[in-house]
Amino acid sequence: MSEMNHERFEDLKDAYVLGALPEEERQSFEDYLAAHPERQAEIDELGAVVGLLAFSPQEQEPSPELRSRVMEVVEAEAEPRRARRQSTFARIGDYLSVRSLALGAAVLLVIGLLSWNVLLQGQVEDLQGRVQHAQGEVQDLQAQVEDAKERRQVQQSQTIPLGGAWADQGANAEVASIRENQVILVANNMPTVPEDRTCQIWVISDDVPKPSGLFQPDGNMTATPITNPISEADAIAVTVEPAGGSEQPTSDPVLLAEL
Amino acid sequence: MISLVEAADADAFATLYDRHSRAAFSLAYRMMGDRQASEDLAQDAFVKVWRNAGSYRAERGSVRTWILSIVHNRGIDQLRSQASRRRTQDRVEASAPRSQPSEAFAETWRNSQRDQVREALNTLPPEQLKILELAYFSGYTHVEISELLSLPLGTVKGRMRLGLKKIRDFFESRDAAVPR
Repeated sequence: MSEMNHERFEDLKDAYVLGALPEEERQSFEDYLAAHPERQAEIDELGAVVGLLAFSPQEQEPSPELRSRVMEVVEAEAEPRRARRQSTFARIGDYLSVRSLALGAAVLLVIGLLSWNVLLQGQVEDLQGRVQHAQGEVQDLQAQVEDAKERRQVQQSQTIPLGGAWADQGANAEVASIRENQVILVANNMPTVPEDRTCQIWVISDDVPKPSGLFQPDGNMTATPITNPISEADAIAVTVEPAGGSEQPTSDPVLLAEL
Repeated sequence: MISLVEAADADAFATLYDRHSRAAFSLAYRMMGDRQASEDLAQDAFVKVWRNAGSYRAERGSVRTWILSIVHNRGIDQLRSQASRRRTQDRVEASAPRSQPSEAFAETWRNSQRDQVREALNTLPPEQLKILELAYFSGYTHVEISELLSLPLGTVKGRMRLGLKKIRDFFESRDAAVPR
């Protein structure tokens, strides 16, 4: 087998993204890719083209038994998994509270010692050192807990980018959940629409689009509340409609996110 | 949704399954060509989705694309591990007949991606499409395809390259990015 180099990489990249390289050649290709991370984006882009093939087969309906079998596995594992997660959080909480108590006791002890006898200064200083160390540990733990909380909040308030024709032209739009049951569409760099037209948001569930907000792109960032819940929705879309909005979409979506 | 699945929410997973099972099963069926094997593959893939929801990365594509990539990867593993390949010529026939895009909005958003992909594939010369399908759906390596079709390896690689370029050009000519 020839040594992997730029020319060979070029020669094999299409077969690689199609999964059509023999094992040894694939390994060699991936080693080269690991050593040249600047080429990863090109492979990702090509991989996205190949990924489209997955959407092309004629639709087939899976049997209800398949759903039952999958859900049987899921339901059997759900409770133990939740218990494991809760147990992990509980251990962190317990650890933190024990440390907090230890810190409080140590601080009281230090104050008592300071006021009681200066002859114990040397011992006090030693204890202070320990307290500082304990404080440092507690702060570290608190930071870890805060970090975990933040990550959880980020997960809960996730954003969903919208794709589509306008996104391809450079518009940035995403659906952001700012708190429970409050969802907004944040859009920037949108094309302007004529005065007699407006952008209309649709929340789509079970093939039914519901009008869910209007906004007028003006070149600045816009934030528009989405007036229908999206928790059970299948997609969110934006169309250009006559001023005042429409009951039903009258044009194809310019922005779209499948949920 | 996916973060709820990661948090072991079985109801959220059921919703995820209902949204994507048809597409996943369709791909599995296209690869395996047999209902039982396809259901086994789809089950295997969805259990992996359930157990590995934390590994989903939104920046790399939609949830559906991620699920389909799991189906595809496991399907390829299974096809390649079969001692006797039962892949038949009928699996490499041209893709399903192109459906007419619907005027209805609801159909548009749901079917647009699939229709566009089929339309893109229909622009490929049959010899390029056949090679892409042999590789992607049937799991053949380029060397195996070369032997199967009695073509020089260079021709196989060339057709792969041209086929993928043509799909990309299809979307670029419509001023649209390749959907992810």
